[in-house]
Amino acid sequence: MPPFETSDADYVAEFSFAVEYSGPPVTYNLPCAVPIKVERIPVAAAAAQVSLSDKLSLPVVQPLLAPDPRSKKFSKELKTLGSDSSTLVSPTTVIAFDRNNESGRDCKELELVSEATVSPTSVIAFEEGNTSNRGYFRSGELSSSRALEFSNGHYASGELCDIANSSREFGFSSISHEHSPELLGGAGISSTIEFSDSFDKSLGSSLASRVSCSQKESLDTNNDLSQADWVSTESVSSFDYPSSQVSSMKIVDGNNESKCDLIRTPVVTFRDFESVDAFDEEYTQDASEKRMPQVKGKKGSCYRCFMGNRFTEKEVCIVCDAKYCSNCVLRAMGSMPEGRKCVTCIGFPIDESKRGSLGKCSRMLKRLLNDLEVRQIMRTEKLCEANQLPPEYICVNAQPLSHEELIILQTCSNPPEKLKPGKYWYDKVSGLWGKEGQKPSKIISPHLNVGGPIKPDASNGNTQVFINGREITKVELRMLQLSGVQCAGNPHFWVHDDGSYQEEGQKNTRGYLWGKAGTKLVCALLSLPVPSKFSNSCGEQGSNIVNRTVPDYLQQRILQKLLLIGYNGSGTSTIFKQAKILYNEVPFSAEERENIKLKIQSNVYGYLGILLEGREIFEEEELIELKKKHSSRIIDPSGNTGNNDDKTIYSVGPRLKAFSDWLLKTMVSGNLETIFPAGTREYAPLVEELWNDPAIQATYNRRSELEMLPTVASYFLERAITVLRTDYEPSNLDILNAEGVTSLNGLACVDFSFPQSAPDADIDAADQHDSLLRYQLIRLHARGMGENCKWLEMFEDVGMVIFCVALSDYDQFSVDGNGSITNKMVQSRQLFEFIVNHSTFDQMDFLLILNKFDLFEEKVELVPLTQCDWFHDFHPVLGRHHSNSNSNSNSINNSPSLGHLASHYIAVKFKRLYSSLTGRKLYVSLVKGLEPDTVDAALKYAREILKWDEERANFSLSEYSIYSTEVSSSQ
Amino acid sequence: MSVAELKERHVAAMETVNSLRERLKQKRLSLLDTDVAGYARLQGRTPVSFGPTDLVCCRTLQGHTGKVYSLDWTPEKNRIVSASQDGRLIVWNALTSQKTHTIKLPCAWVMTCAFSPTGQSVACGGLDSVCSIFNLNSPMDKDVDLPVSRMLSGHKGYVSSCQYVPDEDTHLITSSGDHTCILWDITTGLRTSVFGGEFQSGHTADVLSVSINGSNSRMFVSGSCDATARLWDTRVASRAVRTFHGHEGDVNTVRFFPDGNRFGTGSDDGTCRLFDIRTGHQLQVYYQQHGDNDVPHVTSIVFSISGRLLFAGYSNGDCYVWDTLLAKVVLNLGSLQNSHEARISCLGLSADGSALCTGSSDTNLKIWAFGGHRRVI
Repeated sequence: MPPFETSDADYVAEFSFAVEYSGPPVTYNLPCAVPIKVERIPVAAAAAQVSLSDKLSLPVVQPLLAPDPRSKKFSKELKTLGSDSSTLVSPTTVIAFDRNNESGRDCKELELVSEATVSPTSVIAFEEGNTSNRGYFRSGELSSSRALEFSNGHYASGELCDIANSSREFGFSSISHEHSPELLGGAGISSTIEFSDSFDKSLGSSLASRVSCSQKESLDTNNDLSQADWVSTESVSSFDYPSSQVSSMKIVDGNNESKCDLIRTPVVTFRDFESVDAFDEEYTQDASEKRMPQVKGKKGSCYRCFMGNRFTEKEVCIVCDAKYCSNCVLRAMGSMPEGRKCVTCIGFPIDESKRGSLGKCSRMLKRLLNDLEVRQIMRTEKLCEANQLPPEYICVNAQPLSHEELIILQTCSNPPEKLKPGKYWYDKVSGLWGKEGQKPSKIISPHLNVGGPIKPDASNGNTQVFINGREITKVELRMLQLSGVQCAGNPHFWVHDDGSYQEEGQKNTRGYLWGKAGTKLVCALLSLPVPSKFSNSCGEQGSNIVNRTVPDYLQQRILQKLLLIGYNGSGTSTIFKQAKILYNEVPFSAEERENIKLKIQSNVYGYLGILLEGREIFEEEELIELKKKHSSRIIDPSGNTGNNDDKTIYSVGPRLKAFSDWLLKTMVSGNLETIFPAGTREYAPLVEELWNDPAIQATYNRRSELEMLPTVASYFLERAITVLRTDYEPSNLDILNAEGVTSLNGLACVDFSFPQSAPDADIDAADQHDSLLRYQLIRLHARGMGENCKWLEMFEDVGMVIFCVALSDYDQFSVDGNGSITNKMVQSRQLFEFIVNHSTFDQMDFLLILNKFDLFEEKVELVPLTQCDWFHDFHPVLGRHHSNSNSNSNSINNSPSLGHLASHYIAVKFKRLYSSLTGRKLYVSLVKGLEPDTVDAALKYAREILKWDEERANFSLSEYSIYSTEVSSSQ
Repeated sequence: MSVAELKERHVAAMETVNSLRERLKQKRLSLLDTDVAGYARLQGRTPVSFGPTDLVCCRTLQGHTGKVYSLDWTPEKNRIVSASQDGRLIVWNALTSQKTHTIKLPCAWVMTCAFSPTGQSVACGGLDSVCSIFNLNSPMDKDVDLPVSRMLSGHKGYVSSCQYVPDEDTHLITSSGDHTCILWDITTGLRTSVFGGEFQSGHTADVLSVSINGSNSRMFVSGSCDATARLWDTRVASRAVRTFHGHEGDVNTVRFFPDGNRFGTGSDDGTCRLFDIRTGHQLQVYYQQHGDNDVPHVTSIVFSISGRLLFAGYSNGDCYVWDTLLAKVVLNLGSLQNSHEARISCLGLSADGSALCTGSSDTNLKIWAFGGHRRVI
């Protein structure tokens, strides 16, 4: 019946699940709740924040000696807490348990501080702290978060089979780690609390003490109970909270060692009254405890099972310093998503003194877990976000760092190693880096925009010689002298990152500091830093930005996702490819190019096939025509030339005929793509012949009649001979024009960052920040994005949706999902509405790209825009009302073309639609997909929108207009 | 023949099909005199009762940073693979609740994952339309990332679900948004057979889920957005063995009953249904009436080892435990102590049936075990 068979013998006992209690009947009473009388709950009064001082005395419960553990006598007494730890009394804190482990004391005392305020949103905070007050801080945070939850009427549950309770919200129950089902007789295993506003449920709080892991042991202790001294108290706090009973027990077990103290973590379990029915009304406590041999007041036992001494191997929580023995560590630390932390400590920053041990595994873990598991833990411990150095702990040039600055510092090409919290100085010009008041310790990448300006006394030098405005130390001066730098007359030097130095105010370089071999030796002797081999020049660094590796947690923060959606044929793929070519140094890898080449080639075969098909049709038509003429010629002999052998202009020779038949057959059977990449070489000469054949040329001239032939086909067919050569290398333009290259299957994404606009301009703070930001353009195929699209919610984390519409679609028709023929622009609009209304993209910014503006400009002159029903009220004002339209939009110059007018009209249509759907503003950008500049502008516009979104909060309404014009003018 | 004429004939044919379908439905109804619950009640069966400790959460697997979308157990060694919105697969040791592998996926939009029968490799699929296989034994590079050992590409739509053929590490069945299911040979990376598709009688909408019969691995069922479930024989790719109508919404999940003669489905219409593959009858509808009009969708189902219990996750955060015999909800995992803080998105039962793993939108996985005196059912 152990349901969860373990393969590892080690875990059988350790991880057995809740087991029915099968021991002897319990002789003592089980804890139960005492009902609360609702009327008697006092109304919450806002307590003034108690200022904390060392002398603050707080009422606490004084433990009383009780002769018998089963006695129901509770005494109420208050005792001042004499410990040097102070407790934060917040109005929402109901009960705070402190466990003070004071090393100075002979015995460890368990102090119960019970502060009951009386707000219905009661919060229980357990505090587990050392003598330092750090612990209290944390629990203050915890309690506030819990208060929220309980006031919502959630069920919080105390947990029994506790291995897995790790969520912070249930933190209090997970502190009460161990509740032995054995002792509770199985009946009360589930203890559910309901915290409701009215407190109509009776709450009982029982302070149950720790139960040892093994049942046997707890029974042992039960036998000891009679000999043990019990201290049982019931406290009613000074704010009288009549029905809340909290007891603390202190068990002094004297039968073993003369001075032996029993430590126990306060454990409180709130029980739902109903679930307590089975219990006796009496309020008892059962306890089992660990004895801990007194070793000069030093704690040494496991924090969870209280077994072992200080010599037993233990794992330490990197946050709260709790120590767990090998039996308990896996339960106490759970799945260690942030490394070795107690489940309750997950999410908290680590103890800085333990930073050095991050990622260094102990023998115990290695024994408990297999290699792979240990590796994962150590990796997450090092890399997870919560364990990273908090930026404000690092001061550079007397200025605490911001998050971005720390990232810059850590991700630069030559970062300071093993950064510890502290104060540093940094010489931006030369890259010298050191602790404040000390000589330089390292030369890092120069020109990083971190911290404030360097102070003259940064390294506390007294030599009156200055380097880049910093008075240098004696050691440095010695180095300068040894390496032959003239230092007479207290000069002020200006040292660059390449080591060249000059005197302040002078132009000529006096020499290179690191040029001489001797200098490095001198530096080594004086333990001064020398530039590392990899220190790059400034230019190289810029290009490195894209390639350098950033830790995962950073990647998530700085990656902005842009979702590119558009109806079929709206040119999303072109924009995607354009972005790749624009921002990636190597837009397509060799493998990708090879695939693209094959794709283009098979496309061209496809186009050829369509041509050949057309040729057959034309030939047939021509033949019928001829026959007609022929027959008419019989009647009227004065007809055309003698055409007896049925030859038309569309006829081809037998060899080509065979090839074309074969090609068509392959196409029909759908095998084109599997055959052609390989067959290219073989058929290339034939294709050349075919293409040059007058019949094909004649067909090609009538290509507008072939509906299947996409417009882009002519681009490739005209280059068919080059394209179909085996040594063909697709150019970027070819790739842009190619169909189906981006992805066959709907989703493609590319990561990029915008190149810095002015490479030689000073890198200011904004640019530095930008260079870190990376963007991911995700292109989605519209296919399958129907009503039931279930996967759009996967994109809830994108920053913005870019919706792409082909302007030239307004006179195109295609068959929509219902089988009826619909205008493509209308279909685009439907998709747009669907996406905008989709719950995933609620509150998200939309950028509308009106693509194919070049085609549109030509087309709109020929085909009226009113072809599309949606645009029925387009009445362009040309000629007379020029001035009117000018005043409306500044981007149109004096004589707006029809194309511009029409595109603006369409933009307004979409904007109105959008604001009627969402009430927000739609951003629009005009794009010609094949022109890189316009795509670049559109994506930069997208960046501006994202930035603006972040900064919007900082701008008041009046500044809004200024900012928005800036955005539009930068377009 | 003109287009108009063809259309007319098509409409006429559709009408015939619909009327025939209706007749079939009527006939079925007349033949089906009772459902499982009615029969069980007649027999005097009582629903399974759950004490508070019968199903307890005993592990929490923390480590994902995004919503968990899918999980799968190994038949042995108690390992779990989970796929999440953060673009990672994590392989867990369910006993120690530690991670053994984290795999950063080349395409972050993963929808499904599966453990191979021998536990040597894991498969995953998603919006990139590729089913990627990772060999867990292959050496990791310095980033502790596993390289893709095989890409199964051929689907023309997202891969919605994948499952290894039992006892074979080399075959895998995927379902996809391109309306097809594919049986793959992993060693060659090629398609063995394609079920459904344009010219065949298959699903007419995205296929969302597959489940392979545990006792006869030649048979599998698929559930689709066309509101049907279809039974397939891997030897006959051209047409479905049987089509199961009944649902009124997308069939999100299908799962074979442990005995292999029935299967369960979960759908957007808020119901779970039990179908018999031999008769084609719908045996039982599991539907919990909700007060408001919002019908929560069924997102994932799994049967207990005996089939007596059906765990079903709903889009509103509930996770009901149904007594399959009496069609009664006996427990709601969503409201149990230590339950997830967000909705449960995927479910999986360990091979011996003793533990249930749930993945949730709160980024955690939890393992539930039958505790106390309750035997595994």
